[in-house]
Amino acid sequence: MKTNIKISTRNLNFHYGKHQALFDNNLDIYANQITAVIGPSGCGKSTHLRIYNRIFELYRNQKATGEVRLDGKNILAPDVDLLKLRHRVGMIFQKPTPFPMSIADNVAYPLKLHYKLSRSEIDDRIEEALRGASLWDEVKDKLKSSGLALSGGQQQRLCIARALAAEPEVLLMDEPTSAIDPVATLRIEELILELKKKFTIVIVTHNMQQAARISDRTAFFYKGRIVEVDDTTRIFTNPSNKQTEDYITGRFG
Amino acid sequence: MHQSDTIFRTICLAGAMLALLLTAGILIQLCIHSSEAWQHFGISFLWSSEWDPGMDAYGALPHILGTLLTTGLALLLSIPLAFAVALLLTEAPDWLNRPLSQCVDLLAAIPSVIYGMWGLFVLVPLMQNHVQPFLNKTLGLANLPGGSWLLGEDGYSSGFGFLTAGVILALMVLPYMSAVMRDVFRMTPPMLRESAYGLGCTRLEVTRDVVARYGIRGIISGIFIGMGRALGETMAVLFVIGNLMESPAGLFSCGTTIAATLANNFAEATGLQQSALFALGLILLLMSFGMQILTRYYLTRTGARRGENN
Repeated sequence: MKTNIKISTRNLNFHYGKHQALFDNNLDIYANQITAVIGPSGCGKSTHLRIYNRIFELYRNQKATGEVRLDGKNILAPDVDLLKLRHRVGMIFQKPTPFPMSIADNVAYPLKLHYKLSRSEIDDRIEEALRGASLWDEVKDKLKSSGLALSGGQQQRLCIARALAAEPEVLLMDEPTSAIDPVATLRIEELILELKKKFTIVIVTHNMQQAARISDRTAFFYKGRIVEVDDTTRIFTNPSNKQTEDYITGRFG
Repeated sequence: MHQSDTIFRTICLAGAMLALLLTAGILIQLCIHSSEAWQHFGISFLWSSEWDPGMDAYGALPHILGTLLTTGLALLLSIPLAFAVALLLTEAPDWLNRPLSQCVDLLAAIPSVIYGMWGLFVLVPLMQNHVQPFLNKTLGLANLPGGSWLLGEDGYSSGFGFLTAGVILALMVLPYMSAVMRDVFRMTPPMLRESAYGLGCTRLEVTRDVVARYGIRGIISGIFIGMGRALGETMAVLFVIGNLMESPAGLFSCGTTIAATLANNFAEATGLQQSALFALGLILLLMSFGMQILTRYYLTRTGARRGENN
């Protein structure tokens, strides 16, 4: 299988004020693959992910240095248009975050933000995105009702649909199933596997079985450093690093 | 039950009952004392414009309209202001946020009589010498149809009147409104804001489409709290309204409000006039109650629509 590097991180360091959270991270994310980022709490995996769309910049005193190249262009450069970057790199969060508006409006929101479309085009794209998030059949009769009235799993799929509607190239998922019940989690995992045909996916997860089930490659983070990156099967069967082995066999974390 | 629990329970119950009894008692008293006026003038008291103690003829219309106009103007001016203040207080860095927050809160601590004095000595001349000429001449609003009625003939402003009262009221309700709105904006989950930014929204879009929508119920409650205060505010209005028993005739015309009329006339009133004043009081109280009920109704309805009760 031919693999293109979509995101390439070099010598990435990150500071919360004076506290250094990431140390010299180097990581390649391949296009149309699912890369899982695992590691114990506080190891910096979410921090790492939040650099890819520069969402960390909403907060003062947070600073990233080094290089993160998206299709070869360093997104940490000061002249990068954040709105365009975030259009290309979508994000799904730990908890579902539907906006306080109807299901249809939630999905239409990024469309209105980034495209000039007619009413019927918008309707088509809403359906397409909801189908893409395998939510269409459940909500097609109540598109006008509030997104907040859906179940947790449905809300998260609505958020995925909303992210898909913007037609991003990369989807960042920060523990997307941590607030969702096991059955709904399985549905979302199936969905993620489906999505990798069109998108490049980076998923942070606490759940090692989840990483093993869905990802192509896995990066193990520990105390802000990337200890090991490899094919997921290799990481979970024959890790080359002792710390990785201890973590995946449940000896700590 | 333990004895101390019994005592505690009785005290709590007594406090709660007191609130109930007071509300009911005030309402009943107002009804009793105003009954003479209602019997004498009938329901037409509500839309009669007379106020002539010599003839013993009284009507509520100028007072009701004056109250509604000053309250309306106050809201019109304070809502955008409070919204902006609240947003700034939410987004500003700590070093700016803290002193600013305190200043806004301090506005609420200024006694209304001080607002009234400030209004009389600072705002009235300002309205007379600058604001009215600016609106009339510089913006040329007086030339629009109805403009001269609304803003008064050029050069005939005393500086007193409804707009001045509205401005003072707007400043007085500002801290209440912005405090409620600020708390609402702060309650927006960070993840919700992040997800909006994550889609590629600008700050304006996040604020307008997500934060404001998320907090819409709080914003409305804040507005109603401000409205409740503006309706009944007496002292500050008394200083600048002009105290003329006439219905509003433009923004710069002098007039009165229910609260101002009550404060001005109660000391000397006897007989039918006193009863008419009680009737005005009853009307004011019912307006406030109406506002409360409207707020409740709105909040329940939007709550259900947004699926929060599911």
